[in-house]
Amino acid sequence: MAHGRTFRFGVQSGGASSAREWREEARKIEDLGYSTLFMPDHFIDTPFAPMVGIAMAAEATESLRVGTLVLGNDYKHPAVVAKEFATLDVLSDGRVEAGIGAGWMRTDYDALGLRYDLPGIRIDRLAEALAVLKGAWGPEPFSFEGEHYNITSYDGLPKPVQQPHPPILVGGGGRKLLTLAAREADIIGFTPVARTGEVTTEQARETLPATWTEKFQWVREAAGERFDDLELQIRYFFAAITDDRRGLAEAAAPAFGISADEALQSGVALVGTVDECCDLLVQRREEWGVSYIAFGDNEYEAFAPVVARLAGA
Amino acid sequence: MAHDRKFRFGVMCSHAASAADFREKARNAEALGYSTLFVPDHFIDHPLAPMPAMATAAAVTDTLRIGSLVLGNDYKHPVVLAREAATLDLLSDGRLEVGLGAGWMTADYEKAGLELDRPGVRIDRLEESVAILKGLMADQPCTFHGKHYTVTDLDGQPKPVQQPHPPFIIGGGGPKILGLGAREADIVGINANLRGGVAISDDTARSMTGVATDEKLARLRAAAGDRFDELEIQSFVGFTNFTDDRRALAEMMASAFGVAPEEALEIPVVLAGTLEEMIDDVYTRRERWGMSYVVVGVDVMEQFAPAVARLAGT
Repeated sequence: MAHGRTFRFGVQSGGASSAREWREEARKIEDLGYSTLFMPDHFIDTPFAPMVGIAMAAEATESLRVGTLVLGNDYKHPAVVAKEFATLDVLSDGRVEAGIGAGWMRTDYDALGLRYDLPGIRIDRLAEALAVLKGAWGPEPFSFEGEHYNITSYDGLPKPVQQPHPPILVGGGGRKLLTLAAREADIIGFTPVARTGEVTTEQARETLPATWTEKFQWVREAAGERFDDLELQIRYFFAAITDDRRGLAEAAAPAFGISADEALQSGVALVGTVDECCDLLVQRREEWGVSYIAFGDNEYEAFAPVVARLAGA
Repeated sequence: MAHDRKFRFGVMCSHAASAADFREKARNAEALGYSTLFVPDHFIDHPLAPMPAMATAAAVTDTLRIGSLVLGNDYKHPVVLAREAATLDLLSDGRLEVGLGAGWMTADYEKAGLELDRPGVRIDRLEESVAILKGLMADQPCTFHGKHYTVTDLDGQPKPVQQPHPPFIIGGGGPKILGLGAREADIVGINANLRGGVAISDDTARSMTGVATDEKLARLRAAAGDRFDELEIQSFVGFTNFTDDRRALAEMMASAFGVAPEEALEIPVVLAGTLEEMIDDVYTRRERWGMSYVVVGVDVMEQFAPAVARLAGT
């Protein structure tokens, strides 16, 4: 079914310092009109395990959706991931969004003592994992024989509440990954590629129009007729409500190795007054088809007026 | 510190018809005086994944403890597990009990395409995992170079509320796993020897007779040394049958499993009879084997509740 491209908003949060704070944050995100609370999946500088954190957030709220942005596929076996998402989908009455990526942050691999394979291998493994997830969530026992995973007549339990399965969000930025996402995902989260396995100024350059806009073209080409069904998401890493967008960009840009003008054109920058930010989101939805907007936990409160104006529109 | 061997009780919950049903089970367990809600970890016949289920149970209760019984060590990397367990301990305000096993159910490995190593290798791997879990939950960064896992200068985050770490339950039936429990666990689960890879067989039944359980406890005591008095001894009663004629049931079990009828009723994974007979058995087993932590299935939670009301904390 064609996606309506109505706006919705999410928050990516790494956690809180206590159970009470975490419940309060989840409720506040819900109250401000956000659709979804996402948790990232890293082993350094990110306090919570996402599967546990989002389970708690779901229980603390009524209608807030919960998801991962995104799980690193290599950190858990997909049969385990399928079971955990399905359990959470049942226990949250169908509020889960299953975000997954190929894994990129080298420190995660170091933490786990895992080999940091070439991107192509990691993406192949993700492709297989997506098949395993869908198979486990399907109505029948399934088998899968891949290069990386072998599943034998496995009837995954429980079955998720959302049918045929919770929305699968695939996040990434390279052509191979986005091609996979275009074919298999329900939601695509666009991010710059971290080729070196860490965050560098190279990613900021990649979000400039010349390299950023071609990502949407890749997805359009690979998705074919599916394109209209896909929901497209951007997590805004440089986001602020301000009367002085120019001044803020000038202050922030040098750290990313780009000019202030470039910073304001970045595909992951949303800086300005509430009116300016709303206008830019509407414009980008027309140009790129992006209707699902995510912020970090330091910015979501400031963007509440944007959410109030655009959510559901 | 020596364990007081006071009774407490757990309920094992592997199924839920819906979110509402699961919440009600957790709240009911708390209201009925059970200490802990446990979730198992298998790919077949147990349709709840332990981490999200434990998190949900903790979220809908105030004092109920939550635990895994047990996590199959081979299904998750210990660095992943440590982070999840510590997060759950933090978000439950310190109510987690981490049950760990070496993995045994052949079907789990077959379904997920995991290699089923011989028991000794799986137990070695579990031992390394326990060291990593403790290391990551401690204040200092953890470095561990084992045969199976390598962790280098990693500061585990978050830190658990319970210090130095949530209680670890190590369960099993063979000498090697009980030896590991004796050295490393806070709670030791006395189980059948599951070397056959299935739960119900003549072999598992015979490994659980009274005499066999005497031997397990003797081994555990020898392996634990001074630690033995600090250990809490747990028994998961997988077969609970309320009947006025436990003799008949014993004879049926006896012929099914190739043990004598009087042996059948001694098997600590079995409670059969009237409530009074069950209470007597629970006392006897604590005297004989130190089993003060008794876990029953969620299906008998309400029926068994009067025993919990009478015994818990005594």
